[in-house]
Amino acid sequence: MKLTAVILITAVLLSLACKADYDIKEVAPPEHLGLEHHHEHDETDHEHEAETVELGSVHDESHEHDVSEISGSNRHVHDAGERSHCTGWFFNQPWAASFIWGKMVRDAVILLVLSAVILFVSGYRRKHQ
Amino acid sequence: MKPVMTFALMTLRNLLRRRTIWGIIIVILIALFGIGQIPSYGVSIEGRFILDFGLFGLEIGALLLAIGLASNIYPRDREQKTVMPIIAVPLSRGQYLMGRFVGASIVEAAAMLMGCIGLMIILLMNGHAIPVDMLPATGLLLVEGWFLLAVVFFFSFWTSPPLNAPLTVLLFIVSQMSVSGFIKLFPQAPGLMRTLRLLLPHMDVFHIKDPIAHGMDIPGLYFLLAIFYGLAYMAFMLSVALAVFRSRDLK
Repeated sequence: MKLTAVILITAVLLSLACKADYDIKEVAPPEHLGLEHHHEHDETDHEHEAETVELGSVHDESHEHDVSEISGSNRHVHDAGERSHCTGWFFNQPWAASFIWGKMVRDAVILLVLSAVILFVSGYRRKHQ
Repeated sequence: MKPVMTFALMTLRNLLRRRTIWGIIIVILIALFGIGQIPSYGVSIEGRFILDFGLFGLEIGALLLAIGLASNIYPRDREQKTVMPIIAVPLSRGQYLMGRFVGASIVEAAAMLMGCIGLMIILLMNGHAIPVDMLPATGLLLVEGWFLLAVVFFFSFWTSPPLNAPLTVLLFIVSQMSVSGFIKLFPQAPGLMRTLRLLLPHMDVFHIKDPIAHGMDIPGLYFLLAIFYGLAYMAFMLSVALAVFRSRDLK
């Protein structure tokens, strides 16, 4: 009876824990990724650039592909310590993503309960061997 | 608790008598010294490189120490037939594991502290300031090292000694990967890869060398959460190791 209860609790906990929702790039809210920032570049922007070139319009964000603007007076500079298309990896680390901290606590609590369950089950099995 | 501590101190004395541990510590200190000798070529942010590479060196040192400390303890006890009399009367299997683990983790903590002090001396010798979060950063790497120690104990009960080190290194490497990066290893079965990744810890939780090297502040709460996460994973691995050890027939 005890063993059945333990296995049931474990199954419930595992069903709660079995969520691959930890990847910051996957679960980050738009404000964390800085999508509203006009300097942010992603694949969508690049597609957009291609469209505007085809249409013959001037696109003022094509700086990162223009070699002359890397070192010239029009060179593209971001403020230090701010998220940009170059520093995204830096801010996609757990210390900078406070929305992931709750998941760390959730995983830790589930792991601790699972540890207790494993200890109980292995002790029970050893006693009844 | 007293038998565990007595056995842990016995383990500590045994480990300090082994030359392997001193060899690994000397290699870590030589690597740190080497990092400090790289010429700056006039780059003003040289301190960042020393700090970044130094903390990375400490992390690799934690991995090597975990393997060097724990991979041979149980196989040697079994080969020399000392494990049977120990667990026959004075200690249970759980106390045996905890005693061995606590002894090894004290050695690992002392070695990491030595590495941290060595890195601080190298920074000072090169005229760079020591970041405030240097000790907490080393503390997180130590928690990672303790987790790896638990992994090595698990593999030492579960598999043969030659497989222990490669499996631990493999786990160390894949645990550094993000979920999406892990799926890319075998994109044909994303569901399976996601499930497999769930079992592995997120080692990036313990990595704060980048913000420290760039002089950014890290909230104190984060350190506590990361330590809690690491200790929980360590407890989980130890409980799995004990479950395997309990199922072993030592005769």
